[in-house]
Amino acid sequence: MKVALLSESPADESALRVLVEAVLRQRPGFVAPGFRARGWPNVAQVLPAVIRHLHFNTDTDLLVVVVDADDSVVHTARHDAPGYFHPQCRMCQLRAVHRQTTKRLPRAHGRDRVLRAVGIAVPAIEAWYLCGRDSRVSEAAWIAGQESGRAPYSRSELKWRVYGTDRPSLPQESACAVREVSRHRHDPRRLENDFPGFAALANDLRGALVPPLSDKKL
Amino acid sequence: MIASVAFRHFKALRNAQVALAPFNVVIGPNGSGKTSLLEAILSLRPLSAHAPGAPAVPRPRAKAAREPPQIDFRFSAPHEAITARMSCRSETGCDLLHIEPPGAAGWPALQAELATIRGYVLDHGALAQPAKRAAGAELARDGANLAAVLAARRAAAPDAFSALTEEMLRIMPEFRSLELDEHPDGRVEFGLRLAEDGLVPAAELSQGVLYLLGILTLAFNPTPPCVLCIEEIDRGIHPRMLREIRDALYRLSYPKSSGSTRPPVQIVTTTHSPYFLDLFRDHPEEVIISHKRGRAAHFERLADRADVKELMREGSLGDMWFSGILGGVPEE
Repeated sequence: MKVALLSESPADESALRVLVEAVLRQRPGFVAPGFRARGWPNVAQVLPAVIRHLHFNTDTDLLVVVVDADDSVVHTARHDAPGYFHPQCRMCQLRAVHRQTTKRLPRAHGRDRVLRAVGIAVPAIEAWYLCGRDSRVSEAAWIAGQESGRAPYSRSELKWRVYGTDRPSLPQESACAVREVSRHRHDPRRLENDFPGFAALANDLRGALVPPLSDKKL
Repeated sequence: MIASVAFRHFKALRNAQVALAPFNVVIGPNGSGKTSLLEAILSLRPLSAHAPGAPAVPRPRAKAAREPPQIDFRFSAPHEAITARMSCRSETGCDLLHIEPPGAAGWPALQAELATIRGYVLDHGALAQPAKRAAGAELARDGANLAAVLAARRAAAPDAFSALTEEMLRIMPEFRSLELDEHPDGRVEFGLRLAEDGLVPAAELSQGVLYLLGILTLAFNPTPPCVLCIEEIDRGIHPRMLREIRDALYRLSYPKSSGSTRPPVQIVTTTHSPYFLDLFRDHPEEVIISHKRGRAAHFERLADRADVKELMREGSLGDMWFSGILGGVPEE
């Protein structure tokens, strides 16, 4: 399997490689260099071009996109209902961009389209890094904070808890990211449980392992 | 450190103030006072060397009727009680520094700090030049004696030299060593050896590689200045590499973050890169916007905008700046 990553930094990309391998239980080929976006909404802006590039110019099977939720509406099971779309939910938006971009693409490189795996880190990827280390940090805690109007932590506080500073250097950030997600290398279920935004990514990844119905021998 | 600078009748800065943080990135259109801010800070160094109140050069009679330019500096603790007022003969020549209160007890210590202020407008042509070993251990304003600085550092501060080399090679993995060639006639040259072998002499290195090496040389200076001003920090650097540049400068401004115990260095730098600005999403207090209206300019800290949080939800800082929402764009 050949996987492309669209992320916000090299540190995020290093962590995502570990997590993708953990979920797939195999080491896929990664497209290098990875694709980069300058935060939200730039991710959604560059996504159509990235999808078309991968579809026509490469033999990539799967595109992994992970963005921070920041203060946006958190994706919930209700959003997964057929035909539902929440305009302030980044998961809904990214899935819609993928759906619209791939809708009329002709076949290329032996496949109908590049599959997508979308994850939303709530509120930032540093929250994922704290999973299993700080029980106060979870998607449920963040949503409860949004509902009560009192955020349980800020992006800056998460950085302090992960890196010991809110201004980590890139090597420091990358090393820390890989170290933290390596806890989930053999079993990502805790991360899936505490962070549904990661569970959605994991489900997409596992779905990509299943050959599409048209390819199956009936 | 400098807490604030206030300008009166100085070039485009007719009546402008700016509070300075440990790290400051200044954005704005051409001619909006970015360089004037840096030049004013750099003027503190020579003027502070003279006794307070004594002109550095003979002072001609001021022209009547027009109010002369004036720049006031305030400082952070432990020098918050001191104000330095720079008086100028003209908009291009400031020659007098008054200290308030006169005879302030903390002035000698502050004076010693101000003597270390440095400013750079790096030039890739200058950075690549061979240098005389005797050119010293301190980088010239345009980086002209980089080779001599590297040689001096290797000799006097081998750990700092190793750290600088290690960082350079980490960022540019196509190279495997930084090599210095010291000639018997006192000339020093440098080059970078490719990982696959073959030495690339300085004159043949790309502009971006030279700028990166220049900035890292400043960032890994074992005896850094108290204030460091750098013009156009993004010059020649690929957008994806700008994070490394910011990190190198953060290393100076926030030494604790990199495990160092030395005093922080105040950084004031300018940029025209929206990509560099994007890197300050989590720290809008470090961004200064220079606004220009007609011939007059003034400063605004991004963090002082009431709508800054909402703006950052809508898009990247770089895009917001380019669009004009943040201001700091040319009049068209």
